[in-house]
Amino acid sequence: MRDAFSRALVEAARQDERVILLTGDHGYALFDEFRRLCPSQYLNAGVAEQNMVGVAAGLAKGGFRPIVYGLAAFVPVRVLEQIKLDICYENLPVIFVGDGAGVVYSALGTSHQCTEDIAALRALPNLSILSPADAHEMTACMELAREHSGPVYLRMGKSDLGAVHTAKPDLRWGGICPLVTGDGPLAFIATGSMVQTALRVAEHWKGSEVWSAPSLKPLDAATVREICRGHQVVVTLEEHSIHGGLGAAVAEIASAEAPTWICRIGVRDRFSQDCGSYDYLLREHALDRPAVLSQVREFLAARNIDVPIDASAPAIHSKRAA
Amino acid sequence: MPRFDPTQLRRTILEMAYHGSTVHIACAFSLVEILATLYRSHVRLDTDDPRAAARDYLVLSKGHGVMAQYACLHELGWINDDDLRRYFADGTRLKGLSDAHVPGCEVTSGSLGHGLSVGVGLALAARRRGSDQRCFAIVGDGELNEGSIWEALMFAAHHRLSNLTVIVDENGFQAMGRVREVMDLGRIAAKLTAFGLETREVDGHDEAALDQALGELARCPSSAPRAVVARTIKGRGVSFMEDDNRWHYTRLTPETYARALAELSR
Repeated sequence: MRDAFSRALVEAARQDERVILLTGDHGYALFDEFRRLCPSQYLNAGVAEQNMVGVAAGLAKGGFRPIVYGLAAFVPVRVLEQIKLDICYENLPVIFVGDGAGVVYSALGTSHQCTEDIAALRALPNLSILSPADAHEMTACMELAREHSGPVYLRMGKSDLGAVHTAKPDLRWGGICPLVTGDGPLAFIATGSMVQTALRVAEHWKGSEVWSAPSLKPLDAATVREICRGHQVVVTLEEHSIHGGLGAAVAEIASAEAPTWICRIGVRDRFSQDCGSYDYLLREHALDRPAVLSQVREFLAARNIDVPIDASAPAIHSKRAA
Repeated sequence: MPRFDPTQLRRTILEMAYHGSTVHIACAFSLVEILATLYRSHVRLDTDDPRAAARDYLVLSKGHGVMAQYACLHELGWINDDDLRRYFADGTRLKGLSDAHVPGCEVTSGSLGHGLSVGVGLALAARRRGSDQRCFAIVGDGELNEGSIWEALMFAAHHRLSNLTVIVDENGFQAMGRVREVMDLGRIAAKLTAFGLETREVDGHDEAALDQALGELARCPSSAPRAVVARTIKGRGVSFMEDDNRWHYTRLTPETYARALAELSR
């Protein structure tokens, strides 16, 4: 996925000289190709994120198309007010890329982890939010972002989980991508790193649908409404707080237009406690596959929803540290 | 061409403040001669089009002084008499702090420490386009508390943005007290020089001195960004407002309005 991002950046800059990549002194090795091919369009703004976003606003007002890169903990979270006031209020064409979203920086602790970005940004008018799950979605998302006339946040989480699509999906704003269709009572809607988990966990209930949601804002309310209408339970999965993210967005639509059970899987309003591998951190937050499977089973049991487990589904195991 | 007469500008500010029953009168008064000098002789504008592509940018980062800018925009004909009289009336467009949606205002400020960075970006954009456009960014001394101001200064100096002029309205006060008592800045000019800016220090109510400093900086061959530290008096122009921070917050009564207007009519 990072290669697809890097390729899309280079392509954007070579096709449009107005593109300027700004980084807050982050992105080691990620921009090697960009710096080699488009050196005059690369700008390391230093460890000064607030100024970087203000400068991006000025550049956009002056006719350029800035792409502002940072770790998600810093861009957008540290500079939320600059994004609100300097960029969104004027609806400027600036793309923000938040890298390492979720608990990717598992060993570095809370300063580098970010499970609140979607919630913080969803309430900002004019801002669109993209959250690709694989390289194909990344390519499609970068195309959407580049063609857009207003600000976009591109959330880049765990990037080496493999493909969920076989080719670039035909993505439009708000669109969610069907990955598995079926006629069972459960539907899974996931975003970013959790799409793979959704695919594996969904296999345990026959006929479950699985959707990937790379466009979190806007989110296609009509499709979500149809999914909610057609299913007894909709499970949402995200490497983000259960508050204010994908699950909340789906629940908002369901509550007003198609009430059904919404099981929100995500970070449960807590900070990471311990240090460890990415897989360890997922287990700590009960976001590893066995824990997600258990949570869905418990959700169903607590509501007396009797949907039998498919005993023939492949067993899932959590990766354990050696 | 408008005259930008400081006394008339202060009368306009007073009229707006009275009709709108607003605060921040003293913040606007300290900056009147700075804006008058800039608009009259240094900022190149198309008076028929506030958004003309080739304009110089006047960025009011110190958004609390916006009434002084409105008074200048009124002289330019970009704001009409009705806008002044209906200041703060329901459904009107002129807000109590600088707002980029108002033609003639380049940035949305009031949250401090934003405008200078945007101005730096505008200056950088102009240079990258090969344009000779310049950016004049006005910050308050209280605003210098914001860390982002110093981030912007470092960036401007590093990128040798000689088309950027930072003007500090040093009125010695911030919202809750004297700057030296809240967050002593020492000598601001020395700090700006240390950050790599070509800096002048002048009496910010002396238009000839402001004019000379800005002219000198425009001719100066240095590739550094420029700065003018303008020493001003908060509330300047009305004796009972001068150097009295209550006029950051106090609204005019019919009595104080009449007294202030009488002083400005002498």
